[in-house]
Amino acid sequence: MSALAETTAALAFPSREYFAALAGLMNANRARQEQLGYIDCTAVFSVTEADDDGATRHFRITFEEFSAIAVDEVTAEEATAADFALSGSLATWRTMLESIAAGAGRPALEQTLNYLSHLGTPLKLVAADPLKSDLYFRYNQSLQEFFNASSALATRFDG
Amino acid sequence: MSVRIHEMNPLPAALHEQELAGYEAAYRNHYQAWAEVLARNVEAIRRGSYSLHWMETGEARWGKRAKPSSRGMTYADINRIRGYGDLPEQATWFNFAPRGAVRDRYRDDMPVIGDYTVTDKNELWAENVITLYEEAKARKWNATRDIPWDEVEALPEDLEKATAQLCTFLTEVEFVAGDFPAKWLYRIPQDFLEVKSFLATQLMDEARHQEVFRKRALSCGGLLHAAPGFEWALAAILEAPTHTMGTFLLNVLGEGLVLSIFRSGEMIAKTHVDKEIFRRCLQDEARHVSYGVMELKSYIAGHPQREAAIEELHRFCDVGEQVILTAFTEPALIEPLAVLLGGGLKYIDQGMEGIRHVWTMFINEYLQRCECAGFDRRTRCTIPLEFPWGAAA
Ligand SMILES: [Fe+2]
Ligand SMILES: [Fe+2]
Repeated sequence: MSALAETTAALAFPSREYFAALAGLMNANRARQEQLGYIDCTAVFSVTEADDDGATRHFRITFEEFSAIAVDEVTAEEATAADFALSGSLATWRTMLESIAAGAGRPALEQTLNYLSHLGTPLKLVAADPLKSDLYFRYNQSLQEFFNASSALATRFDG
Repeated sequence: MSVRIHEMNPLPAALHEQELAGYEAAYRNHYQAWAEVLARNVEAIRRGSYSLHWMETGEARWGKRAKPSSRGMTYADINRIRGYGDLPEQATWFNFAPRGAVRDRYRDDMPVIGDYTVTDKNELWAENVITLYEEAKARKWNATRDIPWDEVEALPEDLEKATAQLCTFLTEVEFVAGDFPAKWLYRIPQDFLEVKSFLATQLMDEARHQEVFRKRALSCGGLLHAAPGFEWALAAILEAPTHTMGTFLLNVLGEGLVLSIFRSGEMIAKTHVDKEIFRRCLQDEARHVSYGVMELKSYIAGHPQREAAIEELHRFCDVGEQVILTAFTEPALIEPLAVLLGGGLKYIDQGMEGIRHVWTMFINEYLQRCECAGFDRRTRCTIPLEFPWGAAA
């Protein structure tokens, strides 16, 4: 666990605060974003079976240039307006985030975003058209590093 | 000491006699304009006489102040300036005089480059081309430094050979992905400078892909087998009769397939090094695919004989899809993929099941991309929608 994680109260996943913290980490590391290049898209990360009642929660991140400029929890309807959504169960997201934490920012081979989403399960990529889903591929390294930064957070899974 | 003539070495023949003679004849005898320009210039210099005509702004679009946007000065920013951002539907300038410069009055004294043959905007334009150009520059990476090469580790022999074979295929493919835009880049007149700029980034991307797969193969074993099936598919791309047809075959079908292979490559990579390589490459490839889809869309939407253009594209696809299929059915591609998907030579059968899934996914994505461009290929597609592995067994 990183020094930051030790000194910070654990953040619940999924929550708007959690994604806001990831956005904060991304924005704090602008030099890295400038190396990776522009990321211009609105992405939704959907967490199914997010609680005991089986609810689905959607978190919309607006990326522009080198930053995450907005983080919102949105309704299912609002989520459809994003460029693409990446959807999976809480258990899937949890395993991925725990893998990133265990690897100090680098997930195990079978826990990268592309690995989990390539065959449509356990993460599913949803987009209105192929040009929109191609954005997920065009910015894949940046999106991967967006989640890799979670190793600096202490994470709590309440679901 | 005397030397007999027959013992002397013959004088070397002119190295490029024919080509040089042709060039001399053209510039000394055929073209007159440059000699007249030179004579005029020399005369003015000898007289010590200034012209200063280049300071006249009567015909110029002078006095503009292009404003940068948040990310700097982009083509989109300067194209907002009247008279600079207007692309012709049909190019009529076949030399290097820049769009927006004072050039009309010099037209008759300027050369005409006959190789600029792609004159229709709808044979090359895509709405997203400026965005993709900026993105390509911003997201460039370096195959020498950005891959953690010091972490390369040897895999078990079957997986290592499968990885090396996949790298051999990809190295072969990346060459045509660079040569195709290179061929057409040179055919596109200067007025379409935004497209030329984007194609230059695609060239650089493909050079980097060729480089990274060659380095990966040589970092652990070496290259394995080239394949006739790959070669015919690549030749069909390079020799496509028009820019739009070739862009369709390369960027939409071919690179759509390569994007699927990169995504599969990232998924089946057995090391972090390989994952990083595939992830970096798939980002570039998705840009190329996006250009292809939007170029096709613009071609179809803007074509004055839309139905005939679509029918012609179908006719081209009937051949093109089949030739591309020669690569996608090559044992030198599908077998190493199956070994990697399955996790070893012992599990190649399970790997073939994985390929069945990837095949269906790829064909669906291909058809969706066509549809998105306004080209309904669903009922005409000549590639089987399902992987026919063992169908005749
Ligand atoms: Fe490539
Ligand atoms: Fe490409």
